[in-house]
Amino acid sequence: MNYIELASQFAPELILTIGALAIMMIGLFLATSQKKVLGYLATIFLAVASLVIVSRGIYDLQMDGILADSLTIDPMSQFFKLTFLLVSLIVVIASIREYDGHSNQDEYYTLILLGTIGMMVVASAIDIVTMFIGFELASLSTYALAGFNKKDPNSMEAAVKYFIIGALSSTLLLFGLSYIYGMSGGLTNISELAVFFNANPAVLQSPMGIVALMLIVAGFGFKMALVPFHMWAPDTYQGAPTVISALLAAGSKKMAFVAAFRILLIAMIAIKIDIAMVFMILAIITMTLGNVVALSQRSLKRMLAYSSVAQAGYISMVFVVMSPEALTGGILYVMSHAFMKTGAFIAVAALGYMLLKENSNAKDVDHLDNFAGLGKRSPFLAFSIMIFLFALAGIPPTAGFVSKFILFYSVLKGGFLLLVIFAILNSALSLYYYARVVKYMYVLPPSSDEKLKVPGAYALAILLAIIGVLAIGIVPEPFVNWAASAANVLGL
Amino acid sequence: MMDYVLSLILFIPLIGAALTLLFAKSRESARIVALTASAISFVLTIMIYLQFKSGLAFLEFQFIDKIPWMSSMGISYYLGVDGVSMPLILLNAILCPLTIIYVWGENKQPNQFFALILVLQAGVFGVFMALDFFLFYIFWELTLIPLYFLISIWGGPNKDYAAIKFFIYTHVASLVMVLGIFALYFSTGVNTFEIPVLLQAFSDIASPEMRVSIFLALFFGFLVKMPTVPFHTWLPDAHVEAPTAGSVLLAGVLLKMGGYGLFRVLLPMMEGLGPYRENIVTLMATLAVVSILYATFAALAQKDLKKMVAYSSVAHMGYVMLGAAAFNYMSVSGAMFQQFSHGLITAVLFMSVGVIQHSVHTRIIGDLGGLADRMPKLAFLMMCGFMASLGLPAMSGFVAEFMVLTGSYLTLPTYALVAMLGIVATAGYHLWAMQRAMFGGYNEKLGEPHDLATFEMVPMAILVLLIILFGVYPGSVMEMFEHASTIIPGVMI
Repeated sequence: MNYIELASQFAPELILTIGALAIMMIGLFLATSQKKVLGYLATIFLAVASLVIVSRGIYDLQMDGILADSLTIDPMSQFFKLTFLLVSLIVVIASIREYDGHSNQDEYYTLILLGTIGMMVVASAIDIVTMFIGFELASLSTYALAGFNKKDPNSMEAAVKYFIIGALSSTLLLFGLSYIYGMSGGLTNISELAVFFNANPAVLQSPMGIVALMLIVAGFGFKMALVPFHMWAPDTYQGAPTVISALLAAGSKKMAFVAAFRILLIAMIAIKIDIAMVFMILAIITMTLGNVVALSQRSLKRMLAYSSVAQAGYISMVFVVMSPEALTGGILYVMSHAFMKTGAFIAVAALGYMLLKENSNAKDVDHLDNFAGLGKRSPFLAFSIMIFLFALAGIPPTAGFVSKFILFYSVLKGGFLLLVIFAILNSALSLYYYARVVKYMYVLPPSSDEKLKVPGAYALAILLAIIGVLAIGIVPEPFVNWAASAANVLGL
Repeated sequence: MMDYVLSLILFIPLIGAALTLLFAKSRESARIVALTASAISFVLTIMIYLQFKSGLAFLEFQFIDKIPWMSSMGISYYLGVDGVSMPLILLNAILCPLTIIYVWGENKQPNQFFALILVLQAGVFGVFMALDFFLFYIFWELTLIPLYFLISIWGGPNKDYAAIKFFIYTHVASLVMVLGIFALYFSTGVNTFEIPVLLQAFSDIASPEMRVSIFLALFFGFLVKMPTVPFHTWLPDAHVEAPTAGSVLLAGVLLKMGGYGLFRVLLPMMEGLGPYRENIVTLMATLAVVSILYATFAALAQKDLKKMVAYSSVAHMGYVMLGAAAFNYMSVSGAMFQQFSHGLITAVLFMSVGVIQHSVHTRIIGDLGGLADRMPKLAFLMMCGFMASLGLPAMSGFVAEFMVLTGSYLTLPTYALVAMLGIVATAGYHLWAMQRAMFGGYNEKLGEPHDLATFEMVPMAILVLLIILFGVYPGSVMEMFEHASTIIPGVMI
């Protein structure tokens, strides 16, 4: 494969790399007041990269053995890349207004683009070392972004917690992977590892193999914020700038899922039963704890963080069932969740922006009380928050409903009745706290009668997320087919 | 046009809702847009009602509208009607415009209020028309959202609790129903969610335990919606707090979705239950009789007029369950007719209670008294509604309950006899409430109430006329039900 061909295969990543460098360079020559243009540039680069992915065709793309067998292009990688690109696109559009006039916009947009590239590398990686590098690129960028409001102690706390836990989990993951590397006699390619462990299942069942797996599960557990590895997530999502929380919950967390889909599903087939048991317990605890704790949250960002923990619990049912249908459901859920969560966080960010503009000393702008009467103050914002929350609760006709339907259906088909019953009870429980926000917005009287005008950039970002949520909900067929062909890649 | 007339009936209220919400800023324009939308749906419904052909075979549908949706999973957008659903669609088409006229004077956020009524109407139409379980479930859930808002925005003092209880209680029941749908889908292995196909494949499922589990999961979903004692506790709360329009639609059409589920999905499965059929019939009949007696006596004890009417709804839906359990053609068609008739009657009752609440600001029976003096029009229409509700001959409720009880006596004589005990108490609480609230000396503390406004009187009068009309001449509605119930496999004729 020559370089031209290689460049055309990785055009989206290259476009973003060029974009990241260009934004950094151009930023040097711009006055702060002009830096808004960088946001437009980042938007254009992300939009073009998304278009390139879509124009490539998505169903039957298969290209292996790129760069010494370290990367692949297949429906799964493309599906996740598009998800990451769209999340970043929505976040960047919303940031144009959020950080208008901020002096460090060049670093901000550069970091978002670099983080997105990292996530895309993970989506494509079929080599454990490449995957790890992608992970680190995305993580380092998002550590800095979480602390971007450097004068806000909460943002600092969020960044430090995220960094320490992130570094720890990376270490655990790397340590576990190094055992795998050693035990297999120096293999790094995932499919070669799968062949090796299928031939020698005893290696993984040895004490050293168990330790390696425990380390890997813990490493991924932290990244996916599964209970009991979730403690960092609520603090980080609450303290980080709200638009960045959207990127963390919908983007970087989902990167862990694509990596885990590839590594755990392929290399661990040898000891399927034990892994299934571990993940069954993790999934049940995760969804239950996430939902129960979310019930009592008064900060909307924190509530969304716990809801995100719960949703990770639903998705991790995939590791229990390990069937093509479950994987389809899980993959679709990742994309749906990306739209719902990004939308919800951006909408909360928009409200925070407007409240701070009204009164620059306002504290805790994401407190539930600030949502009282939002239906009267800003019908558009209230309506879109309602759509996102009902989608998260799994009410039709939204993306949340379709993906929950397919996921639960596949778990039941796999014969895990108990797991589905837990998931269903949790789903019902979650309705309580989502509906409470809706009640605040539409039932309680507003604290002031002044109308709030949603700035155009936020409105556009929210609208894109709504289109995503409703498109998957109303015309699910193409998305389901795509998720199914992505699931087929793993050849379960 | 006949190919997609059902979609038109279904989507015109939704379009109307969007127009009302987005463009009709004043009360005047909101209510006119809303009424127009539901009136168009009504006219279209009458059109298909007149063209409806009775006499088709079991699971043959008319006005079919079918578009593949998620073909990999066998999900399609599939609408159609038969004798079970046609009269209920008519009921929904009649009740919604009348409700809109009844709330003509709504002042609080009128555009949202009317839009929600239209969404509710569309959701109920969808449930009665959908022939694909996926679609059925979507509409089933869609009806929750507007009612949740109707209660939590326009409701009474304890609306928060009532709204969330209603939402979560019925949502859990729907989720259990989904489990049943999945199980049905997997164990038949037909790779389609089409209701007719799945119903036919039901008896092919090898394990009888599986069949009965599927039946019970679906049954639970419908049971809570109807509702049946002991799963009824959300209903009195929801009714007491809901605004009148919400109560009318909740009791008038939403509860009917539960009964419709029995007739559409569960009765055709009866024959496939094998050795467990006896137990299921016992379960259904016991629940029915307990519902009738418990709710009747609970109604007798209520101080709040609206709560009394709510319990009377539970009791009347008990007859629907009893008729279904008895499973002969007379009891089943009686039960179907009970759904239709109760929809009309309960609307009059809730509208009357709404007027009382509105004009004297209390619904506590003990605080009322002699209202007939000052509100003669209300007293007359309310009396008609109460008489219909207690089962006076020549009114539709009598026809329905007579058929249910006579039919049930054939197959379940003990249960039918026990249920008849309830009739005495039913007459008792209706008459006693009327006597205390409407007759006797006027309670001067109530001030100077005004009688019915025209927009309140017209829908109530129309409903009373319909109740009498269907009581004297059940006509084509009854014919459809009778035919639909004779073709259910295994029904005793």
